Amino acid sequence: MTATYVYGLVAAGTRLPDGLTGLGPTGEVRTVEHDRLAAIVGDVPEDRPLGTRADLLAHEAVVDTVARETTVLPMRFPAVIDDTGLVDELMAPHQDQFLAVLAELEGAVQYTLRARYEQEVLLREVLEDDEEIRELDAQLRELPQDAGYNERIRLGELIVAALDERSAVDADDIEARLQPYAQRVSRSPAPQPDEVITAAFLVPRDQTAAFEEAVEKLGADTRDWLRLRLLGPLAPYDFVAGS
Amino acid sequence: MTVATQPSGSNVERGGSGSGSLADVVELILDKGLVIDVFVRVSLVGIEILTIDARIVVASVDTFLRFAEATNRLDLYGKGKGGKDLTELTQGIMEGGAKGKTSGVLDAAADKVEELIGGRDDAPDDEPEERAERPRRRPRQRVRERAE
Repeated sequence: MTATYVYGLVAAGTRLPDGLTGLGPTGEVRTVEHDRLAAIVGDVPEDRPLGTRADLLAHEAVVDTVARETTVLPMRFPAVIDDTGLVDELMAPHQDQFLAVLAELEGAVQYTLRARYEQEVLLREVLEDDEEIRELDAQLRELPQDAGYNERIRLGELIVAALDERSAVDADDIEARLQPYAQRVSRSPAPQPDEVITAAFLVPRDQTAAFEEAVEKLGADTRDWLRLRLLGPLAPYDFVAGS
Repeated sequence: MTVATQPSGSNVERGGSGSGSLADVVELILDKGLVIDVFVRVSLVGIEILTIDARIVVASVDTFLRFAEATNRLDLYGKGKGGKDLTELTQGIMEGGAKGKTSGVLDAAADKVEELIGGRDDAPDDEPEERAERPRRRPRQRVRERAE
């Protein structure tokens, strides 16, 4: 049995872009077609487990390079299958389902936007707006670094709550500004109190310039208090069903 | 820095599409994408568990303490009130320290994964976070205020 790595799925007849390098020892990336579907596949290293930095980057580079030109269903890293099962177990039994999702995503790419507060600016604002926080902060400034442990936790708790309250509103605001350019939006939970939003936008290819411009405009309007990071165009990672 | 290609005049950092940022890639491909039960979940040196761990940062005591510390270190009276005195200058230095300490969960996630999978071999820089400009006071004009 030989293991095959599957990067993603595209419509049959898709020509892969030149210069793709896979994560296997040969680096080869090719398609295997079945009926109206094609799998983007390559070989798998046999002498080591998958999961190095290079593996992750190779997977992403292959999928997103294809996505620049063609709609692709990205597989979750790492997707390895016995090559005898590629058609019989993966493609043939799920073809209708895959084709339906491909059709749904046809002509669109994903952008992922992350916004985070300029922490200092926001903390200053929180202090200005909240008397309890201001008083607690003033008290703690008088104490030595190692004193007032519980009060410090209390202060942090109040600040985090204040930031959460702000980011809930600001996240909606950001989404509302960009939503007109997107077919769908998928938000991820913000992992840190000073992160405002992480959201994926599914944008029609003919709208990408307008979308990017809208993000630039947002960045210009919020430059004093937000830091924006935009990834894309990408494969529609956040818009394919988990299973 | 390979990652943050920022066109001049832009306020948005750009990345993705083969930019070589591990932090970005971890976020994108590790828990997103199509999963079909026929796939062999090959051994993964525990990456997933660690990544999930790094992504979901609950509001912990540690988080509270970091934000309390960052707030304590803010220079409250210097900004925008004209004239710098010694206190302000000292505080400014401290702020710089606090900021570095409290930003960058994505970096943290990437570092964690790096730690695990053995370092930055081809080492593109994964730290798009820091901008040269210092934050300035901003005019408050946002939806939030309409909502209030």
